[in-house]
Amino acid sequence: MLPFLKIMVKNLLAGPSTEAFPFAPAHTPARFRGKANHDKSKCILCGICRHVCAAGAIQMRVVEDGSGVEYVLWHNSCVFCGLCAHYCPTKALTMTDDWHMAHRGEDRFAVREDSFVRYGQCSTCGSRIQPRPAVIVEALGTKYPDRFLMCPSCKRESLAKRSVPAKPAMETSETSDE
Amino acid sequence: MSSTYTLPVGPLHVALEEPMYFDVKVEGETVRAVELAAGHVHRGMEALAMNRNWFQNITLTERVCSLCSNSHPATYCMALENLAGIVVPERAQYLRVIADEVKRIASHLFNVGIMAHLVGFDSLFMHAMEIREIMQDVKEGVYGNRMNLGALTIGGCRYDIDEESKGFMLAQLNKLKPLVAELHNVYDTDPLIKTRTQGIGVLPLDKAIEYEVVGPVARASGVNYDVRRKAPYAVYPELNFEVQTDTAGDVHSRAMLRIREAVESVSLVEQCLEHMPEGPNQLAGFVQIPEGEAIARSEAPRGEVFYYVRSDGTDMPQRLKWRVPTYMNWEALQVMMAGCQVADIPLIVNSIDPCISCTER
Ligand code: SF4
Ligand code: SF4
Repeated sequence: MLPFLKIMVKNLLAGPSTEAFPFAPAHTPARFRGKANHDKSKCILCGICRHVCAAGAIQMRVVEDGSGVEYVLWHNSCVFCGLCAHYCPTKALTMTDDWHMAHRGEDRFAVREDSFVRYGQCSTCGSRIQPRPAVIVEALGTKYPDRFLMCPSCKRESLAKRSVPAKPAMETSETSDE
Repeated sequence: MSSTYTLPVGPLHVALEEPMYFDVKVEGETVRAVELAAGHVHRGMEALAMNRNWFQNITLTERVCSLCSNSHPATYCMALENLAGIVVPERAQYLRVIADEVKRIASHLFNVGIMAHLVGFDSLFMHAMEIREIMQDVKEGVYGNRMNLGALTIGGCRYDIDEESKGFMLAQLNKLKPLVAELHNVYDTDPLIKTRTQGIGVLPLDKAIEYEVVGPVARASGVNYDVRRKAPYAVYPELNFEVQTDTAGDVHSRAMLRIREAVESVSLVEQCLEHMPEGPNQLAGFVQIPEGEAIARSEAPRGEVFYYVRSDGTDMPQRLKWRVPTYMNWEALQVMMAGCQVADIPLIVNSIDPCISCTER
């Protein structure tokens, strides 16, 4: 016991080292992976998050009238791995540092991220496309923002119409010299 | 009349609080033979893995066991990278080593702490756990979770270390170092610890080789085998560290070896933080896994982890199989326990750092 006695006295003098929560706020680091948050204004309904979620916590259902998608993330199934947030191309999904998730058993199906993401419209023909939120168009810069807002067939059409001169036919004179 | 009787220990082991069944043949107070029966909580994870795609399996393998929870996805990702011929950016290699070693420190301190608890020295147990808490804070602050770091992805690392988290990590390590040295001294000299653990559960070198034990159990019996040295991966060839070995092969030497390894790990993390090059921490975009098969292995806190993967070119593995270190060490308990006292059973079982959750994957 002797070698430890000194340490024990030191520990006793130092007092308790446990968090005082719930009587005082508990320290939460900024990088803490808590509750996921879904920002519907950035979501492009690509489905990557659902694809990588091992827990099956994410569901995406087209609503009856076909105007958009009901996006649900069940906090009770989520295992806080953060893979969805990592792979989300638009950072619509993020892991917050909120770990206050205690709830009554009867509320277990209510603890979820619920959002409705409306489909987008093709800027040319008006047909239904994946949503193209303004923030994402801005983030893409000036590269091809107008084509980004088109449905696949209008996009093809606009590409075909581009007035890029065709490459000149290959000169054969050099090879025939040989 | 025979004085031998059978003592059933388990299925919910009293000391480990984990399901494992021991059929112990006892003569008086002395153990004569042990039989083990596993399989009480088999989770069928290898079958689950075949129903999940490559990305989902990163999360799944991380949940094989919480103490080695970085080694499993790391080895899984390594196997996939071997299969697809992916070259992981150098910075990510360093980040992987850092995550691995942080986990190793926490895992080893946990095990030696539990040993103090089993000896009945609970204030020492709490002290060891409090030292470990320094590493838990690192995990929470840098990675975002106290157990499952979520550090890995196929082709790199998900997290990065900036100046702020680097400073935080170094400060925590500096706090840890003197405390671990002090702990080493206590475990080395405390009479109570010494009488309860020295000369107990001895596994001689020849038996260690015969049973093919791995990890600290093998090294404490004099087998100089560490995957980080024998089959180096990531950036281990560029780092300085000594493979710890001992010859006593008893409960005490295994605990001391773990503390020494934790000290080595602290230095490994420091070296990585110092030499880590700038650059990307992951590959851009999604990776494609081609058809074929591959393996990978690495040194988890408990010993060698081995992954085999077979792909048919689709999104999901055709077969994912892994071998865990505890699996190799269980059988050797028969040697360690023969002739020991009944009261020493929990101590000996704990000294192999058993992990039921990975045995019962
Ligand atoms: S954090 Fe992990 S488990 Fe939770 S929703 Fe995202 S991918 Fe699924
Ligand atoms: S949340 Fe992100 S990953 Fe999920 S569908 Fe929306 S944009 Fe895609």
